[in-house]
Amino acid sequence: MLEIKNLHAKIAEDGTEILKGITLTVPKGEVHAIMGPNGSGKSTLAFVLAGRDDYEVTAGDILWNGESILEMSPDERAAKGVFLAFQYPMEIPGVSTMTFLRTSVNATRKKRGQKEYSTPEFMKLARAAAAHLGVKDDMLKRALNVGFSGGEKKRMEVLQMALLEPTLCVLDETDSGLDIDAIRIVSEGANKLRGPDKAMLVITHYQRLLNFITPDKVHVLAQGRIQKTGGKELALELEKTGYAEFVGKAAA
Amino acid sequence: MTVALIKTKAEQGLAADFAARGHDLPGSAATASLRAEAMSAFERQGLPHRRVEAWKYTDLRAAVKEFAPIATFDDAPVSQADVDRALNTLGVLAADRLVFVNGSYRSELSTAKPQVAVQSVGAAMLFVRLPNEAIVALNTALVTDGAMIDIADDVALARPLLIVHVAAGAKPKLASLRHTIRLGRSARATIIEAHVALGGAAAGQSNTVVDVSLGDAAELVHLLVGIEGPAATHLETVVARLGAATSLRSFQLSVGTGLARNQTFVTFDGEGAKLDISGVMLASGRQHIDTTLVIDHAVPACESRELFKAVLDDTARAVFQGKVIVRPDAQKTDGKQMAKALMLSEACEFDSKPELEIYADDVVCGHGATVAEIDAGMMFYLRSRGIPKDEARALLVESFVGEALEKIADETLRDALATIARAWLDGRRVS
Repeated sequence: MLEIKNLHAKIAEDGTEILKGITLTVPKGEVHAIMGPNGSGKSTLAFVLAGRDDYEVTAGDILWNGESILEMSPDERAAKGVFLAFQYPMEIPGVSTMTFLRTSVNATRKKRGQKEYSTPEFMKLARAAAAHLGVKDDMLKRALNVGFSGGEKKRMEVLQMALLEPTLCVLDETDSGLDIDAIRIVSEGANKLRGPDKAMLVITHYQRLLNFITPDKVHVLAQGRIQKTGGKELALELEKTGYAEFVGKAAA
Repeated sequence: MTVALIKTKAEQGLAADFAARGHDLPGSAATASLRAEAMSAFERQGLPHRRVEAWKYTDLRAAVKEFAPIATFDDAPVSQADVDRALNTLGVLAADRLVFVNGSYRSELSTAKPQVAVQSVGAAMLFVRLPNEAIVALNTALVTDGAMIDIADDVALARPLLIVHVAAGAKPKLASLRHTIRLGRSARATIIEAHVALGGAAAGQSNTVVDVSLGDAAELVHLLVGIEGPAATHLETVVARLGAATSLRSFQLSVGTGLARNQTFVTFDGEGAKLDISGVMLASGRQHIDTTLVIDHAVPACESRELFKAVLDDTARAVFQGKVIVRPDAQKTDGKQMAKALMLSEACEFDSKPELEIYADDVVCGHGATVAEIDAGMMFYLRSRGIPKDEARALLVESFVGEALEKIADETLRDALATIARAWLDGRRVS
């Protein structure tokens, strides 16, 4: 279970407060969506969950399976099962995708006390997982994300998610910049990772991704706080009414 | 204005050593008089210092506190296994070898074919158009030996030729070698120059001059690897003249040398020639590595590419000076230059000085330089994928130098150099 308790966070560099008291619980086996206008703190929440040190948590706590992860480094959180699918995956020139994937998976397995894969074992595994997501062998040989299209980058994120076997998946605007076919492929990949032991947080500006990944609950994030929580029908409602109500309410 | 310099302790010591032991250097009476002349030329200029523009960032006068005794004939006990070990990954290459220990040719350690002859010192001095540089004059005065590689028209060397410069023995020496590499029309070769030190000889000094000339349509791959260690001083001057439609692919890897200056002067003599000169400088502690290039597009339609990367830690310093001259007749010149440094510490320094002198109007010339720290965004991305800090950092540094190493077309050679670079990077991991 993911428990976010009264979470406050600011930008470390200039002290701007972005998250102003978020409280949220995602039980295992559930998928929750976080929707909100631009600048509401959605991506900040994703980064804070993954442990980016550009943000400083000033109050509150984040518990994953009853354990606070706030003091853990990003790699320690990954070993605990936390995975963030980036809105803008980084390009890493000079590091082949396959090398990166193997380094990442083996480092994580080592920390989890699992056996590391040999290179041939891993290549077989990675190729099979890649094929499911329509990721060509050729992409695995190229430098990580360098020269990949928007859709290819997002598929690569989902491939990493599949290989790292996380238990808490945070998808940050995974639909942005994708056409409908790409959304379908990426969503199918994400849906495969749903399970009774897993929790998923889907962050999105638009409702359409939720046609493919059906959430158990929808939370509206605006002005750094959860403004409203409802069922999946809340997403459809927001599609009609927009976020004006929440922006106004918080400002008032 | 002429500034009368007071001789440094190092210069005085060198002059005294030459006066006392210069007669031990090989060659005829005529050679001896050439040496004396060159020594006077060196003494007039003195060691280059920061007020000499080309040496602005590498002040030898301040840096060289003392010269090691001049190397003359040397027979320090060195075994094949010693050389192999010092060569690191280059030791297992399938290559023909020419081995010089403290400036003396060692036939028992060498395997090169007769096509490659070790030259007489007199022949080594028959140089034309060498740059008017104090360290070249010093090389002329003190040269002990060198390889004379003369590859006939249309001949391709089957295996790479590895010229090994070994610093050996308990007492450091100042070793001066001069190599000549001539490729005939359409000849092809891969020549690797390695500078290494054996355990006890860490503080060796070397001053090497290499004269390269390529006949029309010849292709040369030239690798320069400096791994003598943090107490060593390495001065290297490569002078290359490229005939029409030739290709020179040069790669320079300097790893952890105390003080290194690699200066390369390339002149395009014939149209349609291509030069790719790239390299990697890795320095930590108080090491100082300088790459200086002077590329002279004297004729039309030639191409030059330069990509140098430096990774710096502690208070280390790297220098990149890239001068590109495009003469009035050299239309359709295509020149690109890039120098990039990655800083791993607050106190390291990178000095980059591109100089383009363009006198022709129909040319494409560009240059760029960047200095950066490890990208925090990339670092977070890798760590969010479970990769621990040190490993993520090493991966990013490797990726940084990888772009330059990719310039080495031959996979075996590229891997050999990449392994040497990686060993340095691994040593930089903070725990």
